[in-house]
Amino acid sequence: MDLINELETLGVNTAEALARFMNNSGLYVRMLGKFPAAVKEADVPAHFEAKDYVTAVATAHTLKGVTGNLSLTPLYKAYTDIVALLRADEPEKAEAILKEILPVQEKIIACIEKNS
Amino acid sequence: MNSAILIVDDMEINRAILAEGFKDGYEILEAENGLQAIELLDKNTNIAAVLLDLIMPGMGGMDVLKHLNDNGKILHIPVFIITAESSEKMLMDAYNLGAVDVISKPFMMNFLRCRIGNIIELYRHRNDLEEVVNEQVERLNKVNLSMVETLATLIEFRDCESGEHVKRICGLTDILMTAVSEMYPEYYLPRGEIEKVVTASILHDVGKIAIPDGILNKPGRLTKEEFEVMKQHTTRGCDILTRIPSVMNEDIYRYSYDICRHHHERWDGRGYPDGLAGDEISIWAQVVAVADVYDALVSPRVYKAAFDFDTAVKMINNGECGTFNPKILNAFNVSAEKIRRGENDTENS
Repeated sequence: MDLINELETLGVNTAEALARFMNNSGLYVRMLGKFPAAVKEADVPAHFEAKDYVTAVATAHTLKGVTGNLSLTPLYKAYTDIVALLRADEPEKAEAILKEILPVQEKIIACIEKNS
Repeated sequence: MNSAILIVDDMEINRAILAEGFKDGYEILEAENGLQAIELLDKNTNIAAVLLDLIMPGMGGMDVLKHLNDNGKILHIPVFIITAESSEKMLMDAYNLGAVDVISKPFMMNFLRCRIGNIIELYRHRNDLEEVVNEQVERLNKVNLSMVETLATLIEFRDCESGEHVKRICGLTDILMTAVSEMYPEYYLPRGEIEKVVTASILHDVGKIAIPDGILNKPGRLTKEEFEVMKQHTTRGCDILTRIPSVMNEDIYRYSYDICRHHHERWDGRGYPDGLAGDEISIWAQVVAVADVYDALVSPRVYKAAFDFDTAVKMINNGECGTFNPKILNAFNVSAEKIRRGENDTENS
């Protein structure tokens, strides 16, 4: 339960997530445990760096779905905006949002890794 | 009973949430991409619904929808798009490909279960209903066929036949039409069509109901005038058929009408009623003509005794009963053994 309480302080809507997971907190925690690897695999910043915006939008889109389902609300909002901006052909604005959210994402990942 | 739900998403996290939501009540099948989904859909017959992500590496959700359209399964299995996608065009494309509903990530599990459960129930009813309707159509077709057979048999009884002639004509038409179709590509007919021709052959003599007893059952040779009346059984048969088209399906009606009218036409144009020649006569009418002549030869009639098999074959080949298409005669001779056995089978029964 430490993980869930701590995530709440980082803006994660854990009540909503638990409802989605049919109140199976064990499954929720287990799926949170898979999140760091998903972020690493998507590696959105690398695609921005390479200016490969096609892959950037695809991977950001994947993380939008995952963060939404895990109710990692601040990240979900950011990835939603990033996808929309990339599709609107505004990669600079998208990258700015990414840079802003990365520290929050790192905190959430650190919290998950510490508790698993 | 359809009882599995197929979850298609490249992210394990998303699949796990959906699996948790539906595991009580359904068998859960999971696919990481479109290709795996298609394999599972082809292999499993118990899938009650597909929960499909659109954007996946490799084969995506749209390709799965296209595959389900191609094989027609989209009509029987509800597909729900579960996506973080908000592009209107993409979602519209999914609807146009038959997706039943689009559910946005993140979703609320309780609502999702209700929505999907309701649609599965609706599809189940629809699929069951379709099965019931198909069974009824099949039963109706059988009843119609037996009515047609009854009609043909009644007419034969007037002709002092026992109803066996109709059965033998069906068997002979089947053997001959199959042989002609296999031997000559220009006369090829798929099996399903041959079966319709066989059914249609039942009514070739339906017009005899309109021929007076004195002519129909005359023991001796018919006078010229009497023969003219007798010839009318072809056109009178068509008159009768036009009044009962709803008894048969459209194709069988079309074959019946043609066979009824033209089974006395001859290859050299010397038959009746229209004096058609060569391939102006449909191949099925030509086939039934040979079958009809053969059966008349090997059966006793009020005006003649039965000829034996060899004599009948010789008479047909010699053109003693009119000229036939050489290709049909060839098929007839190639199938002679089968035809003879068929004749024996009937005699023994």
